[in-house]
Amino acid sequence: MAEALFSVAGLESGYGDIQVLWGVDLDVGHGEIVCLIGSNGAGKTTLLRTISGLLPARAGTVRMDGADITRAGPKGVLATGIAHVPEGRRLFRTMSVTDNLLMGAYLRRRADPAVAADLERVMTMFPRLAERRNQDAATLSGGEQQMCAIGRGIMSRPRLLIIDELSLGLAPKAVDVLSESLKEINTQGVSVLLVEQDVMIALDLADRGYVLDRGRVTLFGTAAELGAAPQVREAYIGVA
Amino acid sequence: MKGSPLAQGVGHRAGRASLTRPLCGHPLPEGEGSDAASNRSFLVLPGPTPMLYAQILLNGLLLGGLYACIAVGFSLVWGVLNVINILHGSFVVLGSYIAYFAHVHWGLHPFLSIFLSGGVLFVVGYAVQRGVINRVIAAPVLTTLVLTFGLDLIVNNGMLLAFTADYRTVRLEHPLGSQIIGGLVVPLDRLAAMGLAVALTVLLFFTLARSKIGRAIVAVRMDAQAAALMGVDVPRIYAVTFGIGALMAGAAGSLLSLVFPISPLNGTEFLGIAFVVCVLGGLGSISGAIVGGFALGAIQSFGALWIGPEHGLTIAFALLLLLLVVKPTGIMGRKGYE
Repeated sequence: MAEALFSVAGLESGYGDIQVLWGVDLDVGHGEIVCLIGSNGAGKTTLLRTISGLLPARAGTVRMDGADITRAGPKGVLATGIAHVPEGRRLFRTMSVTDNLLMGAYLRRRADPAVAADLERVMTMFPRLAERRNQDAATLSGGEQQMCAIGRGIMSRPRLLIIDELSLGLAPKAVDVLSESLKEINTQGVSVLLVEQDVMIALDLADRGYVLDRGRVTLFGTAAELGAAPQVREAYIGVA
Repeated sequence: MKGSPLAQGVGHRAGRASLTRPLCGHPLPEGEGSDAASNRSFLVLPGPTPMLYAQILLNGLLLGGLYACIAVGFSLVWGVLNVINILHGSFVVLGSYIAYFAHVHWGLHPFLSIFLSGGVLFVVGYAVQRGVINRVIAAPVLTTLVLTFGLDLIVNNGMLLAFTADYRTVRLEHPLGSQIIGGLVVPLDRLAAMGLAVALTVLLFFTLARSKIGRAIVAVRMDAQAAALMGVDVPRIYAVTFGIGALMAGAAGSLLSLVFPISPLNGTEFLGIAFVVCVLGGLGSISGAIVGGFALGAIQSFGALWIGPEHGLTIAFALLLLLLVVKPTGIMGRKGYE
């Protein structure tokens, strides 16, 4: 494979005395959608938090375009073009939808006309957000909140969008809308690293995938390979 | 708690006292009550009448604006950093001293020295947060409370050493005096001070609502981790927020130098006022601080009329306890800093 856009090598991380990640290797190529699947407690969220600098890495490296960003911190990681949509959306509750989206462009110059253009692009992509642009984020439905969170993520013009749990707690119809928009974002040249507990959705969206188990990558391959792998079918899809 | 410094001259009971009746319960040198001269005329008002009530309400509101300005910085710091800043009262006093010395040495009017005291206090606040409090910001609220308590002991005793406990007053060369408007005595300097205090508070509101740094402060207040993911430098925003809290305290101190005698001993009382206003109005919103400030001013003035000026603050605290039982979120209570 050509030089990956983004790669993680031998990454170890944890909280206090508890080590969660035990040497994770993973990469995402240009224009790829890569999914990360695994059961609760496998370390998926910890991996994403370590990548985006919310949690310090204990060992290993994180690279973007070949440059080491392991200790760049959240701001530095974002500045290299990685946006992280956290689990549970984490919108700014009493800010309007527009203000939430503008927070996504925090590192960009406010007066930059491209920011206003991107804002309209998000509103076009998610007409529901356009209707509610002046409402507080807390008044949105779960699906709308996820739209807002993803919109906020792409407002930084990332080259890699990391999403922690796309579908969790959402109605199937909302998941369909979000999946479509994710594909659209991807076709505009943004690579995606998707953590998703619903393996069917994950494998449907992704080109490739990794299975994380107890802090280690136990399996990886194309979406088709993973979908056919007995371990995956048994453990995560529930059919043998 | 000593008698309310501002309760003087608010009603017929206060009328018994002479004009040189000590502010803050402490004696003033002879002839130093000139800034209170504006209160003279309504001290001779007859017993309770609708006009008297209106006058007392006015006096309360004149205080209230200043109270709001004292409290809003305290509320901001509490809301955003989850730090109960015991230093806040001393910051106010420090602002008053800056106004005092700027007036004595450079003839700077306290209305103008708000920029100086606000600026100096911003730098002090920023440095204290960046250098000291940020190191324990993740600790439970009691830890930061003890830390700011200790810092307050240092700052307050430092001021006692530097400035002594003597009461000083800013005596304007050309006080505006007072005007009778619609039968009410309006002390113009106090009115202007209140106007400026409210203007500063409103300015803070728009800074938080509109400016980039303001949006970042609000974002950090709601979810510091999510804000970090947006590229917000959270420790820096903490320091800026603490600096702004100190700035508001310093500016309020400048304005208060026209109304209160200045002494390090007042720090505790200003802190108490900030506490009551925040809880009264509802913690964590500027509108809450404004409503709480005016409410406290009015409560204190009417309390002084009905029960006695020496009990003004007692009544305020009693009502505060009652409110905590009945409506703990405060009058404007709502979660999240807007």
